[in-house]
Amino acid sequence: MHTPISEQASQSSILGDVTSKSKFNRAARVRFTNRLFQSYFLFSILALCFVLALVIVFIAKTGFLTFETVSFKEFFLSFNWTPEEEHYGAAAFIVNTIILTGLTLLISVPISIAIAIFNAEIAPAWFRSFIRPVLDLLVGIPSIVYGYLGLTVLIPFLREWTGEGLADGIFAAALVLSLMILPTISRISDDAITAVPKKYREAAYALGSTRLQVILKVIVPAASRGIMTAVILGMTRAIGETMAVVMVIGNTAQLATTLFTPTSVLTSNIVMQISNVEFESTWNYALHMMAFLLLAISMILILIIRFIRAKGGAQA
Amino acid sequence: MSGFTATKRNIRARFMDRTATGLFWGIGLLILLLIFWLLYTIMHKGLPEITPKFLVDLPDEIEAGGGIGPMLFNSFYVLILSLIFSIPIGVGAGIYMAEYAPANKFTEGLRICVEALSSVPSIVFGMLGLAIFAEYFGIGLTILGGSISLAFLNLPMLTRVTEEAIRAVPNDLRNASYALGSTRFQCIRTVVLPVAMNAIVTGVCLVAGRAFGESAVIILTAGLSTSGEMWDFSLFAPGETLAVHLWYVQSEAIVEDARQIADKSAAVLVFVVLLINMVFRIPLWFNNRKLKR
Amino acid sequence: MNVFKKFTVLTLATMFVITSAFAGSAAAAGDTLKGKITINGSTALLPLTLQAAKEFQKLHPKVSFAASGKGSVTGPQAVKKGIADIGACDWDASTDVPGFKAFEGQVANKVAVIPFATVVNKNVGVDNLTTEQLKGIYSGKITNWKDVGGADEDIVVITRAFGSGTRVNYQAKALGGGDIVKKSKNYKEVGSSGDMKTAVATTPNSIGYIDLVYVSGDIKAVKFNGVEATAENVINGKYKIWSYGYYMTKGQPTGEVKAFIEYIQNKKFQTTTAKKMKFIPLSAMK
Repeated sequence: MHTPISEQASQSSILGDVTSKSKFNRAARVRFTNRLFQSYFLFSILALCFVLALVIVFIAKTGFLTFETVSFKEFFLSFNWTPEEEHYGAAAFIVNTIILTGLTLLISVPISIAIAIFNAEIAPAWFRSFIRPVLDLLVGIPSIVYGYLGLTVLIPFLREWTGEGLADGIFAAALVLSLMILPTISRISDDAITAVPKKYREAAYALGSTRLQVILKVIVPAASRGIMTAVILGMTRAIGETMAVVMVIGNTAQLATTLFTPTSVLTSNIVMQISNVEFESTWNYALHMMAFLLLAISMILILIIRFIRAKGGAQA
Repeated sequence: MSGFTATKRNIRARFMDRTATGLFWGIGLLILLLIFWLLYTIMHKGLPEITPKFLVDLPDEIEAGGGIGPMLFNSFYVLILSLIFSIPIGVGAGIYMAEYAPANKFTEGLRICVEALSSVPSIVFGMLGLAIFAEYFGIGLTILGGSISLAFLNLPMLTRVTEEAIRAVPNDLRNASYALGSTRFQCIRTVVLPVAMNAIVTGVCLVAGRAFGESAVIILTAGLSTSGEMWDFSLFAPGETLAVHLWYVQSEAIVEDARQIADKSAAVLVFVVLLINMVFRIPLWFNNRKLKR
Repeated sequence: MNVFKKFTVLTLATMFVITSAFAGSAAAAGDTLKGKITINGSTALLPLTLQAAKEFQKLHPKVSFAASGKGSVTGPQAVKKGIADIGACDWDASTDVPGFKAFEGQVANKVAVIPFATVVNKNVGVDNLTTEQLKGIYSGKITNWKDVGGADEDIVVITRAFGSGTRVNYQAKALGGGDIVKKSKNYKEVGSSGDMKTAVATTPNSIGYIDLVYVSGDIKAVKFNGVEATAENVINGKYKIWSYGYYMTKGQPTGEVKAFIEYIQNKKFQTTTAKKMKFIPLSAMK
């Protein structure tokens, strides 16, 4: 009668023009689900931030204790890492890490992106559906297996090739790492290139371009965001890789003067020594500081890559 | 009209195109050969020797002929648990960053932080897990601690890949959906996610592969022993996984056939990862058919 | 609730109480040892630990184990922090050793005798090395095999990382306390015994050191001061490169931890299982 309708009207006025009870329920349900999931997504990003904060605080808390006993200058500028004699100079590791990352990217990025382009644009469909699972497979191979293969197959080969007594060093590590991050970069780039809408391609072809021109001038710039993410994720995986690097890099705390001197980078040094030092020692703090440095270096390299892309001129 | 006038520029462009095609094919085939060689090297020593007994037996420290039963089970258990923890949060956070987050410097900064965090060495996550679960909560070396630490390890990559996948969805599709009166979540659920599903599943496959083959984190948080029984579902049991066992057999074991066990374990690992990737592709196949790709 | 339901619940509850009382007494009558033992520390002792745990669990099914290992010093550290009940360590952590301070309040329980050997790649023609020669090689003074009776090739030194129990013991017993100096070329550090074995086996002209138990066909053990590296020579005292493996506990061990340690120290375990794993029985050392 009068009351129910007005009641209904006052309720439905929030939602718009609804006249029957069932529609009211559905609309409310939909709005409720919307709100619910919005909160859920917000919760997940907060959870992620919490984890990030946890990791950063954990590393930084112990890391910064180093500076109670070691001066900034010594830690960052000295090349002498002999903790048994109280020398905590991490400069050699910092430089080596940057060299290793640069070399790895130099080797793997062109090849990975070429594979991604090949996969997405040029290869026939049977090849595509075949190579994708195989590339994903490469990611699942444990890093120790890569390390072991590097040790038993790559190093003897390098030894023959260069005549060195011990062919461990930055070059071997860069080769192993390139192989490890190849699937990451190429798969994510592949997805980015595939996601470029067909109409871009069709427009370019309509203007009379060859396939290469379409790829280089239209598709790659359009997919540059995704490719950039792929390169960054591959690079960060390479920076943080420990087990495989440890087996082929020689683990000597000195600057990499040639491609084949046994050296050490931040990650390999941390892994080799963290299990063998006492918790409350400056050595342990210095190792945590090196982990923090890894974060900082990786952040700087990420900013550089983003900057390169921005200069490349693509739109956000 | 002939349609194609052979100017110098045209000829050069065609030449470059042909050369590039040849180059791409060359690289593609070369890498394919490399991958096959790699897989062959890993598997040829191990795969022929695997018996069903090897897959379910308990390991042995002294006699040759130990198996990998509990470790294989633990590997799956830890993998599934860590995916249960990491996928909801990773994908959820990625969706938030792509759909809900305002496009300002803070969001960009957050993105960079997430990316930088995927460079933290796995051993640090192991130490973090140790500090949280063994020290703070005092539960020692458990499967639960191991899988959560592993989830932490995988979160950054999953978030970024999801976010990029969703951002790549053209806005036309979203606008069309909104024009039909959908709420934001309806749009995400029915339009954006199916289109982005391919790339998200790639991310999940990459993350699952990494989780399956990860050893440093598990050594520190879940230990190097198993509970000794085959089908132990206890969350608080120590959980040596197959990858960890591979490390152990390669580094410390003194049993005579250590090298063979290592080869066989590596072969099993590679095989299982292939299987997992196939399994993840099945819903994708359905999805693609639905979208008529 | 109606009468029938109340009656059922009461009966069930009584049955439950009675059966659990019986079960409790049955368990008490059988085996009193229960609990969880966490062992952390040296990876060299890990095979022994895992095997002993397996056997011990067969005798006392209520005791569960969690073992891990990443380096000798993590053992006593985990005990100190309370994360582990037993810390496996390749040296007596209650005393000072070069590079590590003593861990106060912990008790060292000997559980094994570990022999070590100097190993070289199969292509090296040298059979015997003296203390002086080893000191020279590891300190970097001797760099060519021809100086110690081999071919004219550079020596590639492979060593364990700092903190390794194997390294601590090798430096003390084989090098007489001498240093292992890092060189800029032909020098490599590895993280585990298995890696050491692979490295020496695949690197020509290399020298390293390892637990005797890992020596097999791919690498060659050299004599030390003329004495061959065998278990007998350790027992009769001629071969000096060996050490005890210890389980560190917080104070004296009690309860199931004590039972476990005693099980390992027991002569039966030492002369059968430990011996099969190529450790030397504690009882054989005088």
